Amino acid sequence: MTGKWQLKDHEAERALFDRRLAVAAVFIALLFAALIAKLVNLQVFKHDYFSARSDGNRIHSQFVPPPRGLIFDRNGELLADNQPIFNLTVVREQVEDMEATLSFLSTLIRLNEDDIEQFNNRMRRNRVPFSSVPLRYVLTEEEKSRFAVNSHKLPGIAIEHQFVRHYPLAALTAHSVGYVSEINREELDRMSDADRENYGGSNHIGKTGIERTYEELLHGTVGYEIVEKNNRGQVMGTLDRTNPVAGKNITLHMDSRLQIAAGKALGDFRGAIVAIDPATGGILAMVSKPGFDPNLFVTGISSRDYKVLVTDEINTPLFDRSTNPYPPGSTIKPFLGLGGLHNGLVDYEFAIEDPGYFRLPGVSYRWGDYTLRTAIGGGHGHTNLQKAIYQSCDTFFYALGNRMGIDTIHQFMSQFGFGENFALDISYARTGVLPSREWKMASRGEPWYPGDTINSSIGQGYMWATPLQLATAVSIIANKGKVVQPRMLKEIEGQAFQEDIENAVPDVMLNDPDYWRFMEEAMTMVVHRPYSDTFRDYGTAYEAIAMADRDMSYKMAGKSGSAQVVGISQEILQSTDIIVSDLNKDHGLFIAFAPTENTQISPQIAIAVFVENGEHGSSVAGPIAKQVIDTYLLDILKIDFAAMEAAADTSISQVDD
Amino acid sequence: MTSKDFVRQSDGLGSAAAKSRSFWRLIRTDPPLLVGLLLLCAFGLFILFSASGGDEAVVQRQGLTMIVGIVMMLIVAQFNIHFFRSWAPSMYAAGIALLGVVLLIGVEAKGAKSWLDLPGLPSFQPSELMKFVVPMLVAWYLASRPLPPRFKHLFWSAVMILVPTALIILQNDAGTAIMVAMSGMFVVLLAGIRWRIVIGGALALLMVSPAWYLFLAQEHQRNRILTFFNPYRDPTGAGYNIIQSQIAIGSGGIYGKGYTLGAQSHLDFIPESNTDFILAVLAEEFGLLGILFLISLYLFVLVRGGYIAYRATDMFSRLLAGSITLTFFLYVFVNMAMVSGLLPVIGVPLPLMSRGGTSIVTLFIGFGLLMSIQTGGRVNVL
Repeated sequence: MTGKWQLKDHEAERALFDRRLAVAAVFIALLFAALIAKLVNLQVFKHDYFSARSDGNRIHSQFVPPPRGLIFDRNGELLADNQPIFNLTVVREQVEDMEATLSFLSTLIRLNEDDIEQFNNRMRRNRVPFSSVPLRYVLTEEEKSRFAVNSHKLPGIAIEHQFVRHYPLAALTAHSVGYVSEINREELDRMSDADRENYGGSNHIGKTGIERTYEELLHGTVGYEIVEKNNRGQVMGTLDRTNPVAGKNITLHMDSRLQIAAGKALGDFRGAIVAIDPATGGILAMVSKPGFDPNLFVTGISSRDYKVLVTDEINTPLFDRSTNPYPPGSTIKPFLGLGGLHNGLVDYEFAIEDPGYFRLPGVSYRWGDYTLRTAIGGGHGHTNLQKAIYQSCDTFFYALGNRMGIDTIHQFMSQFGFGENFALDISYARTGVLPSREWKMASRGEPWYPGDTINSSIGQGYMWATPLQLATAVSIIANKGKVVQPRMLKEIEGQAFQEDIENAVPDVMLNDPDYWRFMEEAMTMVVHRPYSDTFRDYGTAYEAIAMADRDMSYKMAGKSGSAQVVGISQEILQSTDIIVSDLNKDHGLFIAFAPTENTQISPQIAIAVFVENGEHGSSVAGPIAKQVIDTYLLDILKIDFAAMEAAADTSISQVDD
Repeated sequence: MTSKDFVRQSDGLGSAAAKSRSFWRLIRTDPPLLVGLLLLCAFGLFILFSASGGDEAVVQRQGLTMIVGIVMMLIVAQFNIHFFRSWAPSMYAAGIALLGVVLLIGVEAKGAKSWLDLPGLPSFQPSELMKFVVPMLVAWYLASRPLPPRFKHLFWSAVMILVPTALIILQNDAGTAIMVAMSGMFVVLLAGIRWRIVIGGALALLMVSPAWYLFLAQEHQRNRILTFFNPYRDPTGAGYNIIQSQIAIGSGGIYGKGYTLGAQSHLDFIPESNTDFILAVLAEEFGLLGILFLISLYLFVLVRGGYIAYRATDMFSRLLAGSITLTFFLYVFVNMAMVSGLLPVIGVPLPLMSRGGTSIVTLFIGFGLLMSIQTGGRVNVL
């Protein structure tokens, strides 16, 4: 071993080491040079690129949704407001294992397959990376606290609060005020680019009713926010902000008290009520029953709840009965009668001897009088126009209709809005059918037969009208021909709303304005003409309205109607959970306005009541109309008719003797 | 002591400079190295304050660790380097034993079972100690053999290097294993191993590496390699770190965004911004100038280390000092290269900048050895 030491050449070894040290120094210099070259490349030559990337990382432009305008009734009661709810939201990028997360979440909060399916649908819509997507709406307090305890185990899941639409009257305004719901793919596709941007921050859009009609007013203008976010998508600060412009608050003509009263008056019946202020055309109440809870739609209705709504073919809660047509039955008789007077086909004295049926000359078929389905034979006997109204004599109108002819009927009735939609802001309302030769040829490919006119004369056959149209038409009689088109919107942000009406509907001009008084008198008799010794000489609604309320302090004009049910599906007829005979019952209708024959005030309310399978217009729909009118005149307007009468030297003839 | 040293010392006798030099001699401390290290520590704490989002507790703990390290460095400097030389085989044997113990009862952290948690002692990583124990043993072995080393000596040196390396790989800590192996290899390189063997070995490694990649590499290692070549193959997964750190560095530009104004780091886009990726914070906030400043600090320490190796009186000291300096450089370079995307991601901290415990103390022990070599530490326990 000692030999090794001798072999060591210290000077040579030292020189070798120093050379190696020098090589190492060169290597160090080269490697640092490479490093600095790389850094210069990144920090000098690619600086602009990486600056942009850095800003793109952290700076996000996001939409700030505008608060939706509120909807008030005429007294300032809220019909639609915005309430905070708490939602569970997911940022997909931060969830490591989506399935495990969802299954763990379902042990904490209610989370069924339906929620998950809807969530997946939302995820599939185009989505900004790192944005949060709602998983469950409306968490309860208990769910919130259960989540809070476990939130550290659930990265990417958060609770966010949001203002959503709330409808205090729920089902009562489901059709008229309508509802908002999540914007769907088709609606987005239909929007212009500007609109799509305006809805960038919004989840909801008006789907039906006022919410849809005045979507533009209610929505407002989207705001923008430039925010700085950290790598978890949390907003760390706001760099710039353009505030959204809130949607406009609007006030409707609707009176929520009357809306509630109308809903109560209809009770458990399926049907609709439309009440109009004749002076302004303002719709005071518009109810369709049964309704549904529109609040369910706001936060995404579950498919189970939705199935219940759409599969109920008898109650059809989604179907708006107030704006869909039914055969109007005898409720069209006042209009036809006015047409007869105007065209000189009848006068105040003109009368027929009613045998109880009508025959066209040369035709053996007898059109029977539907109002006489009693054991007692015969007809109404000597019948003039007023009696034909208050007794609802079909035979009189068969004959009158036959003499007028369908062309005159069509021309005259259309002035009252039949077959048309007079409403200014209920564009979704159906127009029904006011038949004509052209209409029948176009829709059925058949010529018009004289028999068709006979059927149409009593509001059957091809004649269809919506409760809204009937209320509109009767308000024109209440206005003595002045047409004030029905409308929902009263004020925008407290400013009275005056719509520029193009092609305003002209007033109905009669040859003699006294015809209006004459018809009002006849319709008042429908309600107030009492029983007497004379055979069939009372008002059809006397028993149900005036006789039922001996203390009635005002007079109302009305007209009952019953309409035959057409076309019930076999499926419904075979179902066991309903008495089928009920579904075959006639629909009951009643149109009215009040007060009448009052020297001091003009009619304050015009109303149409439609009761599906109500069987009788006079006895079922009539009292409902009376109840709603009572609420309006006595409880809401608080008109003291007794005092009014005492103050004035009354000259109103008393009919109840 | 060489005659040159003697002459230099005699020249200074009586002057103030000589007095202060003799003071530093007295406490066995190399002032330039100390100043360089203190500047690095201060700069490191300064950057860590920003990187941790102004967390004073983190900075205080790091400062405390540094003080412990500096004290350890000064203690080590008091020992004569030949004390370590004579104890090198025993320390190596003890180190191997500890590595064996770790394999049996070690504690796992971050996927590597490298921690030893003995009662009464702070938990530490024996593999860290091997970073200077291995070069010490190889230097001890080769210094007494004729240089350049012969094949037989190279073989035994390789065994000395590979045994602890293998044990550390078994702990699943490939990063440390590479650094330990390199610290031993630097000794062999400085000892004058013939270039054709070095080049031959490098070529062999190059040819074996595809086989390693295909058959031995673990999934995450393969991912790192793939990510290195194309960070955008998985931008939110494996490539996220490197993409975000490149964005931070690049957006810093020449002058940086200003202290504590680094958006990337303060909005948590840079992962491990306190530890391995702290350079990205520096680069974002102080730009290219900040990095150049840091590199010059490192260079200052490296030059001083090289000078100490150059001036050392015996071959053991030269080899050890050279290896410690080169290992320090390797840390600096690998970390910077990895953060800037020049090398695949390897978990290597940036010396004295990254937050850490054992690694900082180990580093200072290494510098303590350098100071012992430079000042001829007088405690000579044999």
